[in-house]
Amino acid sequence: MLRHKGFFMETSIKVRINGEDVLLAKEASLAAVIAGRKIDPQAVVVEYNGAILTREKFDSVVLKENDSLEIVSFVGGG
Amino acid sequence: MANQLIIAGQPVRSRFFLGTGKFASYKIMQEAIVSSGAHIVTVALRRIDPQAKDDNILEYIPKDCIVMANTSGARDAQEAIRVARLARALGCGNWIKIEVIPDNKYLLPDNAQTILAAEVLAKEGFIVMPYVNPDLADARRLRDAGAASIMPLGAPIGTNKGLRTRELIKILIEEIELPIVVDAGIGRPSHAAQAMEIGAAAVLVNTAVATSDDPILIARAFSLAVEAGRLAYESGVSPIKESARASSPLTGFLR
Repeated sequence: MLRHKGFFMETSIKVRINGEDVLLAKEASLAAVIAGRKIDPQAVVVEYNGAILTREKFDSVVLKENDSLEIVSFVGGG
Repeated sequence: MANQLIIAGQPVRSRFFLGTGKFASYKIMQEAIVSSGAHIVTVALRRIDPQAKDDNILEYIPKDCIVMANTSGARDAQEAIRVARLARALGCGNWIKIEVIPDNKYLLPDNAQTILAAEVLAKEGFIVMPYVNPDLADARRLRDAGAASIMPLGAPIGTNKGLRTRELIKILIEEIELPIVVDAGIGRPSHAAQAMEIGAAAVLVNTAVATSDDPILIARAFSLAVEAGRLAYESGVSPIKESARASSPLTGFLR
C-alpha cells in the first residue's frame, strides 16, 4: 500500500478548541464537533474566530485549518 | 411587607440575591434558591469540560428567577465585555454583573476597568450591575455610564468578614440614587441585616450559603435577616444614646 508524505496533513485540520489544539477530519462541521463531544447544543454558545455563534448556526459552519473555537456554558458562580 | 425593590424598571421580588457557586450539587443549590425565595441568582460562564459531564445548571434554576451572569475571570474591561456578550447569547436575558478582578489574593475589583466595561455594555442594552470597591466618585461615574445598580463589596469575596466597608457603603446609599446592593463578604445573617438596616437595597450572598453545613436552612435565615433589616430601615431605627433612658414609667413606684 502506498503511503505518501503529507497524507495526514491533507485529510485533517488543526483547530484550536478551548485553548487546545485538536486534529479534526477535513470539512468537519461545528455541529459534528459538538455532537462528537457529547455536548448539549442547547447549553452552550460558541465563539468562532472571535465572533459569537448561536446554536442555530452550528450546522452551517464548516471548520478550516487554524480556526479557533471557544465553547462555553453557564456554571455556578457568585 | 417591605417596599418593592425595582431595578432598571423591573420589580424584584426578593432583596436577597443568591450566588450559585460552590454548592455540593445543583440539587442542593436549587433547594437553597427555593428556600431563600431569591429572585435574582448569579451564574458564571466557563469553557465546557466534556469530561465533567455536568448537567445544565439552568435546569436547576427556577424558571421565574432572573439569571444574572457575572463576568468572573475577566481581568480587564475587554474581557468583561466579551464574557457579557457570550452570556447574553446563551439566552438568559440582559442582566450582567460586571466583575473585573486583576488581583488573585484579595479578589478586589478594578473600578476603572469596570467603569469602561459598564459604558460599553449599558449602550448595548445590558442591565449593568457593577461589583466595585465602595468609592463615591466611581459610583457616580458608573451611574453616569448607565449602571442599574452599584454593588459594593462588604469585605473580600469568600471571607465571611461582614460589613467592613460600612461607612463607605453608607455614603453610597446616601449619595447615589441607584439601588446599592452589598455584594461579597457577607458571612452571617446578622451581617446581611446590618447592611439592610443602613439602607442597602439588597444583598448578594454565595459562599456563606453554599459552604454552610445546611445551605438550604441558612439560605432561609439570610432571607429572613434581609427582610428584617429592610423593615427596620423602613420603620426608622431609633438613635443610639450615651446614657440610659427608662422604658417603663418613672412615676407611680411602689415605695
